[in-house]
Amino acid sequence: MLGKIQKALSDNQVIKAWTIRHEITHGFQQYELKKSTESLREVTSELFTVDVLCDSENNEGKPGSGLGTVSLLPGADINSALEKAVLTAQLVHNEPYDFAEPTSIPDIELADYDYLEDPAGKIQGVLNTLKETTASFPHVRLTAAECFGQEKTTHLVSSKGIDATQKDTRVYLQWVYIGGSGDSEVETFAEVYRRRISDLDLKEEAALRAQYTSDLLEAQGPPSYTGPIYVQGPTLAVMVAGEMLAGSLIQTLSSATLKYSGETPWDIGKSIFREDVKGDDLQMWANRQLPYGIPSSSFDNEGIPAQRIALIQDNKLAAFIADQRFANYLKMQPSGDFGSIEIPGGSIPQSELQTGSYIEIAEYSWFNPSPVTGDFACEIRLGYIVEDGKRKPFKGGMLVGNLLDALADMRWSKETGFYGNYLGPKAALFNNLKVVG
Amino acid sequence: MEKKILPPEMSALRPDLGEAVSILEEKAPYGAVSLSSREYTRYLVDNNQERVMPGEPTAGVILTAFDGHTMREKGVGGFHRDELLKGAKEFVSGIHFEKNGKLDPGKERVEDFQTEMEHDPALVSTQDKLDYLREMNQRVKKIDSRIVNARVSFMEMREKTVFRNRAVDLAQDVQRVHMSIMVTAMGEKGVVMDWASKCGTAGLEVLSFSDDDLEKLVKNAIGLLDAGRIEPGEYTVVTAPGVSGVIAHESFGHGVETDMFVKERAKAAHYVGKRVGSDLVNIYDDPGYPGAFGSYFFDDEGLPSKATQIVKDGIFVRGITDFFSATKLGIERSPNGRRQDFTRKVYPRMTNTFFGSGAMPLDELIGQVDDGIYIPKVSSGMEDPKGWGIQVSGHFGFEIKNGVLTDKMYAPVGLTGYVPDVLESISAVSNDFDLSGGYCGKGTKETVPVTDGGPHLLMKVRLG
Repeated sequence: MLGKIQKALSDNQVIKAWTIRHEITHGFQQYELKKSTESLREVTSELFTVDVLCDSENNEGKPGSGLGTVSLLPGADINSALEKAVLTAQLVHNEPYDFAEPTSIPDIELADYDYLEDPAGKIQGVLNTLKETTASFPHVRLTAAECFGQEKTTHLVSSKGIDATQKDTRVYLQWVYIGGSGDSEVETFAEVYRRRISDLDLKEEAALRAQYTSDLLEAQGPPSYTGPIYVQGPTLAVMVAGEMLAGSLIQTLSSATLKYSGETPWDIGKSIFREDVKGDDLQMWANRQLPYGIPSSSFDNEGIPAQRIALIQDNKLAAFIADQRFANYLKMQPSGDFGSIEIPGGSIPQSELQTGSYIEIAEYSWFNPSPVTGDFACEIRLGYIVEDGKRKPFKGGMLVGNLLDALADMRWSKETGFYGNYLGPKAALFNNLKVVG
Repeated sequence: MEKKILPPEMSALRPDLGEAVSILEEKAPYGAVSLSSREYTRYLVDNNQERVMPGEPTAGVILTAFDGHTMREKGVGGFHRDELLKGAKEFVSGIHFEKNGKLDPGKERVEDFQTEMEHDPALVSTQDKLDYLREMNQRVKKIDSRIVNARVSFMEMREKTVFRNRAVDLAQDVQRVHMSIMVTAMGEKGVVMDWASKCGTAGLEVLSFSDDDLEKLVKNAIGLLDAGRIEPGEYTVVTAPGVSGVIAHESFGHGVETDMFVKERAKAAHYVGKRVGSDLVNIYDDPGYPGAFGSYFFDDEGLPSKATQIVKDGIFVRGITDFFSATKLGIERSPNGRRQDFTRKVYPRMTNTFFGSGAMPLDELIGQVDDGIYIPKVSSGMEDPKGWGIQVSGHFGFEIKNGVLTDKMYAPVGLTGYVPDVLESISAVSNDFDLSGGYCGKGTKETVPVTDGGPHLLMKVRLG
C-alpha cells in the first residue's frame, strides 16, 4: 500500500511536497488485581499518515503554503483520501515554507531487544518481579498493577528523498500499595514509562514506594513554612521536565512557534529568569538523542533527525526549538521535536544538600504550574520535616511559588539519574519556597 | 431496523458478529464483540498560522471473553470479515475459562442511535469552518491592542460503535464538537492567557459566542497582567458551575469509580450509606444528559445510558461501574464502562458529573459573603480517592466584599482540602446550572470526553 500511496502522490502535480509515515504497532497489556489477573489484552494496528504541502492563496491573493494531512487504514481508498488532503491544503493559508530536506539520520537506541524476544512473557516477568519484591515489604499490600509493552515500527518516506525506518519500544508500569487497615488505610500510586524494562529500576522504585506508604501511616498535618525545600528522583524530574507525555514550562517557553507569535518573553542571549540568579547557574540541553529516552527518536514526524540542542547556557537562552515551518520563518536550523531535558550534575554531593533543617517534598498530588507563567500552588501528598537528621512525615498543605524563580535560587546534586524524559541531577535544594499548612 | 449510521465496512461486518459471539461462548461464559471507529479533526486559526489537523483515527474489532474472574480481549485494527470468525476461534482456543453461569448480558435490545444535530459538521465544508474561525479570530483581536495572539480552535470528533453480545445488538453514531478561544497578552510580568470554550454532543449549532462573551474573555486576560497572588489561608468561597463540577469530579467522581473499590483504593467504599457532606450536597453522573459533551446512548459494554445518583442529601449512595467491577462487587451495573478506543481496556469512568441545583438565586448567595473569593474558572484538578485530599487549580479569582463582587483579581488560586470537610462546609447552593466540557484521564492515560458542572456553591476552603 505504501508504494501505491507514493505513486498517487508523485502523479499529483498540485502537490508541492509530501511525506508518508507508515506505523505498525503491536502491544500486550496485563492487569493484575491482588493475586489474580483482571485482564489480558493483545492489540495490533497499522496506519499510514500522509502530509501534503500545496501552494495556496488567501482572500487577498497573497501566495502562501497550506498543509493537508490524512490518515489511512490498510485497504482505504487512497485517491479519495489524498483528494481530501489536497483540498484541505489548498484552503489553509500560511506564510510560504517547505518540508525538511534529507540529512544524515543518526541511529538512536530506542528498542528493548530483550523485551522483543518474548513480549507477553516479559510483561508477565515484570509483574512477577514486582510481586516478589513486594513480598519483602510486609507492611504494604500490592492491590493492583498494570503493565503494558508496545513495539512500533515507523517507516517515513518523503518527496524530498528521506527514506528512514526506526523501531522503538515502550513499557508502562503502574501499581498501588496499600498500607494500614480500616479507616486509616493509605495508598501510594506509582506510574513509570520507559523504553526498556531494565530502566524501570523496579526493585529500587518498589522499595521507595513501600517506604512512602509506611511513612504515610505516620504522617501528621502540614506545617506552615518558608525556607529550603529538598526534592529528589522522579518528583524532581517532573518539576523540571514535566509529565512524561505533557511537556514542561521550559519546553513551552523555548518554542519557536511561540517566539514567532510573540507569546514567549524569552530571547536568545538573554536570561530566562526575571530576577538575579542566587544559586547554581542553569545549563540545559534539549536532547532527542538520549538513548532510551521516551521522547527520543532517530527522526521525528517531519523527518528531522535527532539532535542534542544546547538550550540554556549560563542561565541564558541559547536556542529556540523549531519545527521545519517555524525554522523557515525565523531563519534558523530546524531542531524538530524537543526530546528529553538534560542537565549536568552540580558540584555538591546529595548528602551535603541534606544537611541542617529543611522540608523534603516526596510526592505532589499533581505538580502543574501555569504553562506560561510558572506560578504553582500544588497539594503535597507526602513530605518530611527534617531537623537534626530526624525525618517527620506529613501530608497535605500546598507548596506555593513560581517555577522559574525557584530554578533561579537552588543547588543541584552532583549525582545524576535518568527518569525517562530527564537526565540530570538526582536531587536539588530550592533555597526559598513556601509551604502553606 | 438498522439506520444508515455506520460506514460500509462496519455495516458489512455487523451481520457476522452474532456468530462470533457464539464462537466465543463455546468456551467462555460470556462473549462480546465490539466494532469501534473514532475520528477527530482539529481546526486552528490564530494571528500567525492556520492548521487543519486530523488526529490519528482508531478503528478496529474488539473480541471479549469473560469468566467472571479474568477479562480477556483481543483488539485488531481494521474491519476484516475473513479474520473475524477465524480470529474468534483462535482467540479462545487453549484458554481455560472458569465456569460461571451468572454473567448477565443485559436485557435483549436491538437499536441504533444517532446524535441529533441541526448542523452536522460532516455536511459543512472545510472552507466554511476555516472562514468561521478566521472571523472569530478577527472579532477577538480587535477588542484590545494588548492581545498578542487570539488562538481559535474547533474540534469535531465522530465515534461510531457497534456492540454485540448474546442479548444486545446496538449501534451508535455520536458526534462531539468543541470550540475554544485562547487569548494571550504580554505585560511586564510576562505572558498571561485566558480562554473560553463551548462544546457538546451535538452539531455546530452549540458553538456560537456573543460579543459579550468575547469582551469578557479579553477583559479577564488583560486583568491577569496585574493580578496578585492570594494570601494563603482559609476563605469563604463561591465556586462557579465549572469549578463546582471539578470538585464533584475529583471528590465523588474518580473516588467512586468502582475499579477503585476492588483495588482497595477508595475510601468511599467504606462510606456507602454514610454522610459525606452537608444536606445540600447531591451529586450525579448522567451519560444520557441531552447534548452534553460526555454523553452517549450506551456504554462500551452495551448498557443503555441513565443517570446515577452518587450522593443524595449528603449521604453517599453508590459508585459507578463497569461490568468487571460490578461483577466482582456483586452490585447493579451502571452505564459507565468506557474505553479510550479499541486499543484500550474498559474502566468505570465518569461521563457528565455534577452537583444538583438548589433554590437560592445567585445574587442572594453572593450577598451572604462579607469577605470572600469568587472562583469563576478552573484550569485543572486532581483526585486522591484514598486520602480524600482534593486539589483544584482555579485559573483566577475575584474578591467579594460586603456581598458584592469586585474587580480585584488573584491568579492562580489553588483550592485544597479534605473532601468531607469541603462538602460539609457547603452552606448554600444556587438555582442555576451549567456544564463545562473537557477530557479526563485515569492516571496519565485512558482519555475520554467528559463534562463537570452544577450550580454555584458557597463553601469554606483553603486557598493558596
